[in-house]
Amino acid sequence: MGFLSSILHWLSNFYDEYLGFINFIIRRWEQVLEYTANHFSLVLTVMFFSLILWISVGLLISRYEKLANTAFGIGNILFVIPSISLFGIFITIPMLGLGRTSAALALILYAMMPMVRNVYRGIKSVEWPIIEAGRGMGMSPRQILFQIQIPMAWPIIFAGIRVTVVMITGIATVATFIGERNLGRFIHHGIARESADMIIAGAVLVSVIAILLDYILGKIEDKITSPGLRKEQEQS
Amino acid sequence: MIVLDKVDKIFPGTTVPAVKQVSFQVDEGNICVFVGPSGCGKTTILRIINRLIEPTSGDIYIKGKKVSDKEVNPDHLRREIGYVIQQIGLLPHRTVEQNVALVPRLLKWPEERIKPRVKELLDMVGLDSNEVIHKYPFQLSGGMMQRVGVARALAADPPIMLMDEPFGAVDPIVRGRLQDEFLRLQKEMKKTICFVTHDINEAIKMGDHIVIMNKGELVQHGTPMEILTEPANDFVKDLIGVDREIKLLDLTRSSEIVDRNKEVLGETREKDCFISALDPVQRALETMMKNDSDIVVVRDGEKEIGTICWGDIKKLINKLSGEA
Repeated sequence: MGFLSSILHWLSNFYDEYLGFINFIIRRWEQVLEYTANHFSLVLTVMFFSLILWISVGLLISRYEKLANTAFGIGNILFVIPSISLFGIFITIPMLGLGRTSAALALILYAMMPMVRNVYRGIKSVEWPIIEAGRGMGMSPRQILFQIQIPMAWPIIFAGIRVTVVMITGIATVATFIGERNLGRFIHHGIARESADMIIAGAVLVSVIAILLDYILGKIEDKITSPGLRKEQEQS
Repeated sequence: MIVLDKVDKIFPGTTVPAVKQVSFQVDEGNICVFVGPSGCGKTTILRIINRLIEPTSGDIYIKGKKVSDKEVNPDHLRREIGYVIQQIGLLPHRTVEQNVALVPRLLKWPEERIKPRVKELLDMVGLDSNEVIHKYPFQLSGGMMQRVGVARALAADPPIMLMDEPFGAVDPIVRGRLQDEFLRLQKEMKKTICFVTHDINEAIKMGDHIVIMNKGELVQHGTPMEILTEPANDFVKDLIGVDREIKLLDLTRSSEIVDRNKEVLGETREKDCFISALDPVQRALETMMKNDSDIVVVRDGEKEIGTICWGDIKKLINKLSGEA
């Protein structure tokens, strides 16, 4: 009996020590819901515009090689600017200021590097004989792009999108400093108040969103990618 | 049917032409084989015909129409020309059905016409259409992929086919079978075919006409018999190899040397050695060796028309060597 009670004791200590954030979430559920919803909507907004913008840019530079290095250069520079200063720069721009527009724009710029690079790499990964076969059959350059290159590049493009979504979900927490009321606020306030529960609650929820979005994208990827390509990867 | 007139190609950044002043003509319904070592320009010639490569100078005519004109849309031109490439080039993300239907779909055929056409083609090239139609290329063997590649090139029934080492990616046994089947198909289809290979044996077997190339220049062209009996220079002789006489045996029909003296027929028949009058003499030789006999019976259909014995073959070899 002594043994059992010591286990129970240990478990309740463990809960107090490490899982206290669950109590926090239950206690503050309305706020949690609001912040989570804000976080989600910011990430989705950013991804929506990033997909349109950066996939187009990626396709463009795969066509006009000379632009590729310039685009990678810009992407890399943006990527190494610390997020907090990038947000800071945006709020100084008139018309933007504090709030969602600045936050979204900064995050869209962050998405440039992984997305543009992967779209370019994906398109370029299609081997020459296959393109050549398409040309030989009489496909126009546009048909080759949409019927061969893009479908064959999906796995690599998707890898880029998934990395981006996880990354954006994480960096979005920093946007709390420019007025976003999202899960970053728990982390920020938690640090200020030395509340481990608050920090952990924020971090765990952010991770859950990231994992969830990544999982959903994985499912979409499976749907879109031709079995002919998927099997090929599994074999090699 | 296909005419090339003084075609030159100098690739940008090089000074040595890849193709130099090449002119020739391929007649309708013929297989013209381009043969030579790698880098001799044979593939370049093929790709100039369907304008995957634009010639530096010279003209190309197909059915009397100048297709090297700027006004001719190269994409549209290529849809009218079947093309089988070296690395097969099946689209890995598409099923066999989608691969074969590629050109008909580009030509906007109605779907109800495409479906039966794909089945017909797959059966024609010796595949079980029900079994392979929904498979992806990675699920096929090398030989099956080659067949799909040929079916795809034939899909829209183009009068002209360009084939760049179409049987290059399979082992010799499968290659031999594919060659035989293709020749049988060609007897019915009567396509005008340009065929590239580096293998002189394949050239002799497949070609009605052979074009030998070296360093971008046309060295010799003619029928396989002409090439074998009158090689233009040492390069051609080397290319043909030392077994020239044996190759000639492959080009001579048994009916040409059959001994129509029927007296020996009776005893020879016992030995169970038969060949068809249309078979090459080499087949007669093989049959003899297989059956440990020195005489074979030649049949024309069901009718026995005579015999060939070892002496007849030897006489032929002597005659052919004398000619050379």
